Amino acid sequence: MIILTDVNKTYQGAVPLHVLKGINLKIGKGELVSIMGASGSGKSTLLNILGILDNYDSGEYWLDGTLIKNLGENKAAEYRNRMIGFVFQSFNLINYKNAMENVALPLFYQGVSRKKRNRLAMEQLERMGLSDRAHHLPSEMSGGQKQRVAIARAMITDPSIILADEPTGALDSKTSHDVMEIFRRLNVEEGKTIVIVTHDPGVAEQTDRLIRISDGLIVPSIHFSETGVVKEACKSSDITENP
Amino acid sequence: MRLTIFDIENWKEIGATLARNKTRTFMTGFGIFWGVAMLALLTGGARGGEDLLKRNFAGFATNSGGMAPDRTTIPYRGYQKGRGWQMDLTDVRLLRESFPELEAVIPTFQKWNSTFRQGKNSYSGQLIGAESNYTRMLVPKFYCGRFINDADVASERRVAVIGKKVANQLFPGVEEPLGRMVDVNGAAYSVVGVAGDASEVHLNGSLDESIVIPASTFRRANGYGENIDFLMMVARDNANLTELLPKMRSVVYRRHDIHPDDEGAMWVINIAENFEQVDTLFTGIDLLALFIGLSTLLAGVIGIGNIMWVIVKERTQEIGIRRAIGAKPVDIIVQVLCEGAVLTVVSGLAGLSLAALILGVMQYLNNPADAVSPAYFQMSFTTALGILATFVALGLLAGLIPSIKAMRIKPVEAINSK
Repeated sequence: MIILTDVNKTYQGAVPLHVLKGINLKIGKGELVSIMGASGSGKSTLLNILGILDNYDSGEYWLDGTLIKNLGENKAAEYRNRMIGFVFQSFNLINYKNAMENVALPLFYQGVSRKKRNRLAMEQLERMGLSDRAHHLPSEMSGGQKQRVAIARAMITDPSIILADEPTGALDSKTSHDVMEIFRRLNVEEGKTIVIVTHDPGVAEQTDRLIRISDGLIVPSIHFSETGVVKEACKSSDITENP
Repeated sequence: MRLTIFDIENWKEIGATLARNKTRTFMTGFGIFWGVAMLALLTGGARGGEDLLKRNFAGFATNSGGMAPDRTTIPYRGYQKGRGWQMDLTDVRLLRESFPELEAVIPTFQKWNSTFRQGKNSYSGQLIGAESNYTRMLVPKFYCGRFINDADVASERRVAVIGKKVANQLFPGVEEPLGRMVDVNGAAYSVVGVAGDASEVHLNGSLDESIVIPASTFRRANGYGENIDFLMMVARDNANLTELLPKMRSVVYRRHDIHPDDEGAMWVINIAENFEQVDTLFTGIDLLALFIGLSTLLAGVIGIGNIMWVIVKERTQEIGIRRAIGAKPVDIIVQVLCEGAVLTVVSGLAGLSLAALILGVMQYLNNPADAVSPAYFQMSFTTALGILATFVALGLLAGLIPSIKAMRIKPVEAINSK
């Protein structure tokens, strides 16, 4: 469960940039949501704050009952490692490690033995249909394969939340569809909470809910039904969002 | 939780990182290798150099000196300049009584171009008459037997300590010619010892080419009466021979009517002063070695720091990715520092090996079988480890700064850096 209450973020500089202007947001456990917004709207900043990759200035951020605020770097690293899985647009695999080693890396930082983490990494790769690519370097794989390796890496610590920043941005439409299928499967079968930042309405349509962000504020959500798009005004009793 | 430093993955990564940038690894490693080798060579070489210099003084008592009469250069009390004079045993007694600061006053007698024979073999060298206290001033290198003792002097025994070269010439193939007879200027002497020079500098001729007999025997055999040829003295540890020598000379001059300022009338050697000069030289060499060593160290450390900076800089994005998936700052810092440490240790060990090899060759070349004393072109194991540890410690320190700086970059900024 993710709860953000009146979260503000300003980038200091010659001209301070108020990026998030009091974000109120609630994402329930097991939701598959997408975040869309124009460039500079604050969606990536929001995702970074959700992923504890960046700090916020005021407000509160609760992640699975834990207040994420002013964490030391060690604690933040521990939360990122155990509670959150990241998937990036450019995959962000380490290029001199093979697929299995990339997938196993988060467990390395948990101190899991090499044998065990390699076994678990192989299991994740098998789930992604990449067991035959386990010993290949990223440079020897296609974009879709790389992204599946990245998803396997995000999943290996069994986090409750997966944060994906434009996960299909570098992929063709078919591969994008395959990747979204994986997210859908992880959401439905394993109950993972998945938050996807995207520019692609087609991707957003494959999620349960679209959170739109504009000029640092969340605007009414769009909930999707199985039969099509159903627009709903946000109900304050349901999900707290900016009016 | 286990520390990642002990995980084989950590070491595999270090190997992979170093292997990926072969040229850079080699250049940095070479800098450390060369720095360590130079520092080790300077340390070991300075010690060997000191030993070589000390070799010149081996066997000499450090706080010692000698004096011998020469012709006067200043007219005095009715005597013309250019007068010859002789020191005698009365001078010896006078000096012993007047200067309690002296541990030993040692008269010696010499006869150059003496002929030594044994059977058909002969050798032309120096005959020395000495008392037992001769060895207080100059400790010879003994090959066998003993030196002249008090009983030899008291009984005017016809015994001889023969030099190494004399022994080789007169008794070829005989390892220890003790008890054998040798003809010295027509008189027979029994060999009681074989001795030689302990240093490469000779105060009164080479002992290798001399025969030493008791002073009393020498005087009788050569009709010396009270006269002596050369006077050696050893001062006590707390005495300053440089201050004593002019006073001693004054005492002798007064007795022999020599002008107090006539420096040319006596040949004086102050070994203590020479030792002080050598000590100063050693200090200078040590300081020079230290300066060059520290400069090399500084250059090496700057090199390591520079390369660590580059390593961290070009891996900023990777560091960001690692932090996003759970690496703690200490994990990243340890990994970066391990890379520097591995490079430093491997290169440093190679540098030490090269230095040890060169020092070994220098030691071999400077220590022939007949060397009077060993010259150690070596450094202690502790010193070697110390040099290596210093490089590693300073290298780690140099790497720590960019690592910490990298940790200050937000993970998200690090991930997005190119």
